[in-house]
Amino acid sequence: MKRSHHPDPATLALHAGGDLGWFQAWRTARHVERCGECRDEAAAYRGMRETLPGLAEAPGIQWDHLAREMRANIRLGLAAGECIREVDVAVPRVPLLNGFRAAFVAAAALVLVVTGIVLERPTPSAVSAGVPVVQATGEGVERRSGDHAFALMHEGVNTNRVTYSVSAQGTMGASYVDPQTNLVTMTKVYVE
Amino acid sequence: MATIAVLGAGLAPAQDQPLPQSAVKINLPDNSPLAFLSSTISDSRATARGAALVLDLHMSLTLRNTTAGRIHGVTLRVVAQEATLGGKGSVTYPSLNVGPGEALPVRIDMQLLRPSQAIGGPLVQVDLDGVLFQDLSFFGPDRLNSRRTLTACELEARRDREHFKRVLAQGGVEALAREMRDSLARQAEAGQLTVAVSRAGRAVTTAAIPEHSEEFAFLQFPDSPVEPLKGSAVLSGNEARAPRIEVRNRANRAVKYVEMGWIVSDSSGHRYMAGSLPSADRDMILAPGKSAPVLQDTILSFTAKGRPVQLQRMIGFVNQVEFADGQVWVPNRDSLSNTSLLSVLPPSPEEQRLSDLYRRKGVAALVADLNR
Repeated sequence: MKRSHHPDPATLALHAGGDLGWFQAWRTARHVERCGECRDEAAAYRGMRETLPGLAEAPGIQWDHLAREMRANIRLGLAAGECIREVDVAVPRVPLLNGFRAAFVAAAALVLVVTGIVLERPTPSAVSAGVPVVQATGEGVERRSGDHAFALMHEGVNTNRVTYSVSAQGTMGASYVDPQTNLVTMTKVYVE
Repeated sequence: MATIAVLGAGLAPAQDQPLPQSAVKINLPDNSPLAFLSSTISDSRATARGAALVLDLHMSLTLRNTTAGRIHGVTLRVVAQEATLGGKGSVTYPSLNVGPGEALPVRIDMQLLRPSQAIGGPLVQVDLDGVLFQDLSFFGPDRLNSRRTLTACELEARRDREHFKRVLAQGGVEALAREMRDSLARQAEAGQLTVAVSRAGRAVTTAAIPEHSEEFAFLQFPDSPVEPLKGSAVLSGNEARAPRIEVRNRANRAVKYVEMGWIVSDSSGHRYMAGSLPSADRDMILAPGKSAPVLQDTILSFTAKGRPVQLQRMIGFVNQVEFADGQVWVPNRDSLSNTSLLSVLPPSPEEQRLSDLYRRKGVAALVADLNR
C-alpha cells in the first residue's frame, strides 16, 4: 500500500478519538488493521488523548483563556493577511467628490450646523434684543432696549425684603424700605 | 454742559470719572408744597465699557414741607435725557407723615447704559409729579397717575394700621409680633417669581411651544364696586400674553379705572402673584350697570429661581377701582384674608414699613408707632 493511500494524520487522530463518521470510520479501521505504521500512529494519538484531561487540571494553565487568545490571534492574522493581499480585481477609479456626493455632503453639513444651532439656542424668548423689556434685576428694576438701559436701583437692600410689582400695562416696580432713610420707597420703570 | 459732553468722547475704555452736579436737573414748580433744600450726587460716576457708557447716579435730596398740611405721599418723575430711548421711571414715597416745616430726605439710585457718544445737557431730569396730603387732597401735574397710586397706598395704609391696632387690642403684643413675623415670611416668599414685561404684538415662540387660551377663574369680593365676568389670556410655556377680562360696574356711580390682580399657578399648584392688569383706556367711563373689557397687549414671561414657570391656571380679582369723582376703592382686609389672598399678595407699603420697624427696633417701637 502506497503511503498516499494511508489516511492523513487528522483522520487518524479523529479515528483514535472515535470522532469519524460511520463510513469513514469503517474504511479507516480496515486500513489500520492491515497497516502497522498507521496502527502505531493511531495508538499514539489515543495515548495522547488519555493524557490531555490530566493536563487540563494542571495548575497555572488557563486553557480556556489560552484558546480564546489563540483564536483572537488567528483572526488578527487573517485580517492582516487580507490587508496586505494584492487585489487582482480592477476597481474603477471614481473621483472623491462627484456631483451627487458633494451635494450630499453639503446637505449633511448644513443639517449638522442647523441642528447644532437649534440645540444650543436658549429657551426661546418672546422678544428680540431690540424690543423694550422691563424686568427686575438683582439690584433694581430696569428698562432695556438694545444697547440702552435705564435702571432704578436698590443697592444694599436685602433681596428678601424687596417686593416687586408688575403691571401688564408695561411697568415693573420694586418696593422696599430704604436702609438709609427708613422710608418705604417704590420705584417703577416704564416700558414706553 | 460742556463737561458732560466730554464724558462720551473723552473716556478711554475702563476709565471713569465723577459726574458733575449739572448732570441732574431738578424741577419743582413755583407753587410746590415741597421746597428744595439740598442735593448731592457724590459717588456718581461715568464709566466707559467698550463702546458703551455706564452712568451710576447716586442722588440724595432734601426737601421741606412748606405747607400747613401733613404730607403722606410724594412721587418724583425721573426721565433720562433721551426719553424715547433712555427711559422713564418714578420714585414714590408712600406712608409718609411729614409735618409742616419738616424735612424729607430722599435717595434716588440710577444706572444708565448708553452708547458712548457726546451728550449735551443734563443726563437726568427729576420732576415733582404729585404730593398727597393727609386729607387726601393732591398737588401736582399727575403725569404718572400719582394721585391714584398715592391715594390707593394711603387707603391701604389706613386699612392695615387699623387691622394691626385691632390685633394688638384683641391679642396683645405677642399676637402683634406673630403677625409681623408672618408678614416678613410672606415677603421673603413673594420674591420668588420674576416677571419680564414687553409690549409686543406677537410672541415668536409659537412654532416651538404650543399655545392655548386659558380662562381666568375669579375671586369675588362682596363689597367690590366692579364684578369680573369672564376673561382669558394666551398661555405658551412660561409666557402669557393678551390678557382680557370683561368687568361690570355694579356701583351706582361711574368708574374710570379698574385694576385686576392676576395670580398664576404652576404645574405643582404653587401660586404666584403675577401682576396687575389695569384698564388700558385712559378715557374710559364705565357707567353703572355697564360692562367693558380690561385688556393689554403685552407679553409677560415668568421665571422662578432661574427656571421658566410653566403656567397652568390663572386667577383674577378686583384689586383697585377709581370712580369718576376721583375716589378710590381697595379690597378690605377681611376680603383678602377670607380668600387666602394674603398669602400671595405683596404687603402694602405700610405693612412693609411696620414689619421693617418691628424687625429693626422690636415690638415696642411698633406699638408706639401704631399708637401715634
